[in-house]
Amino acid sequence: MTAEAVGGRPWLHLNEDKRRIVFACAAAVAVFLVGGVLNHSFLSWPAIRANLVIASFVGLVAAGQMFVVLIGGIDLSVPWVINSAAIMLISTSLGKDDRAAYAVLATLGLGLVVGLVNGVGVAYVGVPAVVMTLGMNGVMEGLTLGRTKGLTCESCSSYAPPVLTRMFSNSTGTPAILFFWLIVAIAIAFVLSATTFGRRIYSVGNSPRASYLAGINVRRLTVVLYMLSGMFAALCGIALVSFGGQPNLGMGDPFLFQSIAAAVVGGVSILGGRGHYVGVAAGAIMLVVLVSVLQGQTWLKESDRSIVYGVTILGILLFYARSHKDA
Amino acid sequence: MSSVNTAPETPAVLSTGRAPMLSRRRHALLQNAPLLLAAIILFGTLALYVFLYHRELDKFPGAFDWTSLTNTALPLVFAAVAQTMVVLTRGIDLSVGGIIDVSNTLAAANMRPSVGSMVFWTCLILLIGALAGLLNGVLVAYARLPPILVTLATLAIFQGIAVRILESPGGHIPSTYTSTFTNTQRPSGLLLVGALVLLWWLFRRTRFGVGVFALGNDEHAALANGLPVRRLKMLVYVMSGVLSAAAGLLVASTTTGGDANAGNIYTLTSIAAVVVGGISFMGGRGSAIGAIFGAFALTLVTSVLFFAHIDRLYTSFYQGLFLIAAVVLGSLAGRLARGGNR
Repeated sequence: MTAEAVGGRPWLHLNEDKRRIVFACAAAVAVFLVGGVLNHSFLSWPAIRANLVIASFVGLVAAGQMFVVLIGGIDLSVPWVINSAAIMLISTSLGKDDRAAYAVLATLGLGLVVGLVNGVGVAYVGVPAVVMTLGMNGVMEGLTLGRTKGLTCESCSSYAPPVLTRMFSNSTGTPAILFFWLIVAIAIAFVLSATTFGRRIYSVGNSPRASYLAGINVRRLTVVLYMLSGMFAALCGIALVSFGGQPNLGMGDPFLFQSIAAAVVGGVSILGGRGHYVGVAAGAIMLVVLVSVLQGQTWLKESDRSIVYGVTILGILLFYARSHKDA
Repeated sequence: MSSVNTAPETPAVLSTGRAPMLSRRRHALLQNAPLLLAAIILFGTLALYVFLYHRELDKFPGAFDWTSLTNTALPLVFAAVAQTMVVLTRGIDLSVGGIIDVSNTLAAANMRPSVGSMVFWTCLILLIGALAGLLNGVLVAYARLPPILVTLATLAIFQGIAVRILESPGGHIPSTYTSTFTNTQRPSGLLLVGALVLLWWLFRRTRFGVGVFALGNDEHAALANGLPVRRLKMLVYVMSGVLSAAAGLLVASTTTGGDANAGNIYTLTSIAAVVVGGISFMGGRGSAIGAIFGAFALTLVTSVLFFAHIDRLYTSFYQGLFLIAAVVLGSLAGRLARGGNR
């Protein structure tokens, strides 16, 4: 405490939360540079752009994950919300542009409904978040597999509407999805830093009881945040299927680990109450670049990549995600 | 700046001014309510299983059915107890599935049909499980990293190692090994469950066991009372590693081979079994017996769905509902036992 106030080095004047964000951004740049050293084409614009597009998927899910982690919750239902959203988009739009708007709304509605169920279960029924969202993940998996008969239904074989797919085409130089992600990021940063809603989130994350006594409707806020998480997962599903063209089973699975890891690497405390989306976005970029640097190393086998990935994440966590001594 | 002055005052007044003490019997009921509920869930599922089995095949499940059910449940039973150890300290171990993968593939790739080889590899694999748990434990207890992140990262590492050991499903487990631990003719597996229950009974009566519960209930109080909190935390992950490795050996024994991905499902199902078993995620409350009940109940659910002619694609839907329902029932029962008012 005192060291910070008296500290000679100017960057120590940043409080710890801000320092973590700076670290996350620095780590993202560092991994990019390491990739560039190993392979020079890695720092070319097309390569950077490709990485950022993939990072936007992680960034969108991680936004939702961050909202629930900020109040000390967690959303494990992300994988099958993403997957069911992707299939929902395809089967409602049937690949037609004129149905795209309706399909997107329906898909976002699906995410909101799943989030509503999660939130009500956690806030009003008192089910632990881990259990509630894990159960909902199973429910969504079963519903998705059952309703689509294992993705063999007629409407499942459609492609994403071209109007959505164009968000990823690079004819303009920068794909629209990156602008979209930037707008989302600015909006979330604004909501967290400059609105009472954002203040309430931090307040509940630090002490639900004190927030309740201060007149915050903690339960309603919890429900809203789980709904946001569901919506962002659905948004990621839409983006993924528009990028890839067609859905496949299990496409959401990698995003559970990545969304939690991006949030924590970005400086969000898993206990709630601390963290910001700026760090989370940097965390998402760092993770995605790390994976693509590893995939570029052809001398590494697939199994070795998994090991190196785990070891690197541990190394990064050791560097700055440690809790205080007294905790 | 002395830490004594900044320590928050304990609201001692609040705890003495509480409602009159509960009667002894009601207290015992309250303490064991989650375990009781787990038993009720298990017997409910069991009754449903027997009913559907009889409706379908016009006879009651025989020795063969019970034996095969036990053998199927056995790896999950061990994984669930492994998870219990960690959840009791308010942690979570997502690397359970990864350790099972490593243990399963090591056994399938190396075990030879001689007694010496089987004993040697069993001991070595359990030791490797302990080391894997030690890695988790050191990172959680001494490096002060959140358990969920540590074990997610080590899960990736262990899965990678398992694929290195056995790239494609295969290998071989000696038939004597299978007939010793998961015999299809007689329920030898029940002996292992019995051994696990005995171990739990002993654990509850050791200094270690008491310490784990104290730590789970209130880490600060445990520390203030001079408990070696860090060492206890670390040891809990070591125990989890050993039990997961044992679960992996049982997976190898029932499937008579190795698959680097066979263990992955156990990460989530072990958590589910712990939940159904009534172990609190807030730490310090629960019993491995409950987790064992939970593991059997979850295994039975799969058979129930089969006999109820439910499309296999919907399996996880019903498993998810079962999981949520078990917890909702648990919290409702808890409220009722406390006399209606929260």
